[in-house]
Amino acid sequence: MNKELEHSFVTQLEANQNIVHKICRLYTHDSDSHKDLFQEITIQLWRAFPKFRGDSKFSTWMYRVALNTAITLYRKSKRSIKTQDFESISFKISSEAYDDTEEEQLKLMYSAVKELNDIDKALVFLYLEDKSYREISAALGISEVNARVKMNRTKEKLRKILNP
Amino acid sequence: MDQLEILKKQWQEREQELPTLSYDSIYKMLLKKSSSIVKWIFLISIGELLFWISLNFLMPESQKEIISDMEIGNVIFYSNIVHFIIFGIFIIYFYKNYQSIQVTDDTKSLMKSILNTRKTVKYFVYYNVGMFILSSIALNSFFYNRSDQLYELMDFATKDIAQDSFASIFIVSQIIVGVSFLGILILFYWLVYGLLLKRLKRNYKELKKMEL
Repeated sequence: MNKELEHSFVTQLEANQNIVHKICRLYTHDSDSHKDLFQEITIQLWRAFPKFRGDSKFSTWMYRVALNTAITLYRKSKRSIKTQDFESISFKISSEAYDDTEEEQLKLMYSAVKELNDIDKALVFLYLEDKSYREISAALGISEVNARVKMNRTKEKLRKILNP
Repeated sequence: MDQLEILKKQWQEREQELPTLSYDSIYKMLLKKSSSIVKWIFLISIGELLFWISLNFLMPESQKEIISDMEIGNVIFYSNIVHFIIFGIFIIYFYKNYQSIQVTDDTKSLMKSILNTRKTVKYFVYYNVGMFILSSIALNSFFYNRSDQLYELMDFATKDIAQDSFASIFIVSQIIVGVSFLGILILFYWLVYGLLLKRLKRNYKELKKMEL
């Protein structure tokens, strides 16, 4: 029974691990803390797994547990490297199709997102993941209307960071 | 917002650049231990209990003699037992909090339950600091009232001090020691519990703001 549960969990997490990696990238600044957070999220997912009923998709449930862990349970290290990591670990430039200005804007935008607080980051993350306001509100425990209002405010914050 | 749209597009296109962990390395992670905030609070409180208990065993012989000669050994013994029972109750609460925190809940209710832990911590700190102040006052005023007896009992340390000035020297030095110890105690709690929960409080406030 336990073995079965383990197997089913690891298989599903393996298939959906990119969600966790993306959260780790947003919430950490180097590969060591990325690993730490991935580890912590995995443990919390595993602890919560027996309560996962399958009434929502595994990935939807994962969003919630993983973000909860990043925002509430994870003890962040004090080290913070701000913009460098865009090139080094996060967004390697692979295609030649983008022109420089777009690439430049992308970098700036990404580092602006990383400057946001934990909650705003979660909002932007869910937005980038193309989640509906309903899904965003469920993950954070706020109403849909508030999620919408908050998202607009967060965009405003980003605009201010980019054009001070 | 154009830039955010560009980022969104790229965000989805560049997923293949993310690291990929194998089945085995994910499986190994299940066996590791969590290092979450709540667990730390629980562990630190246990460590603290052990520290205070061990301090009782480390009390120097001379002090034990004074306590037994002044006939307050029983009072101290029983109040220690009561103190440790209350301490134990707090630890049970910490453990319950630790157990009850469900990461499956939405972020806000999760944070709420963690902040309840914070409340327990706060009462725990109030209790400890309060007890320290009260017991110091009680013990020292008792000593002060019977300073003549204490003067004789502490002969190993009082040889060079005149009996008339002993009471005031004793009380002043006790106050200095007491206040500095209190300072260390508060600093310890502030560092350990305050900092552990600071970020959490900020996040919760942020979520609270959304409701307005």
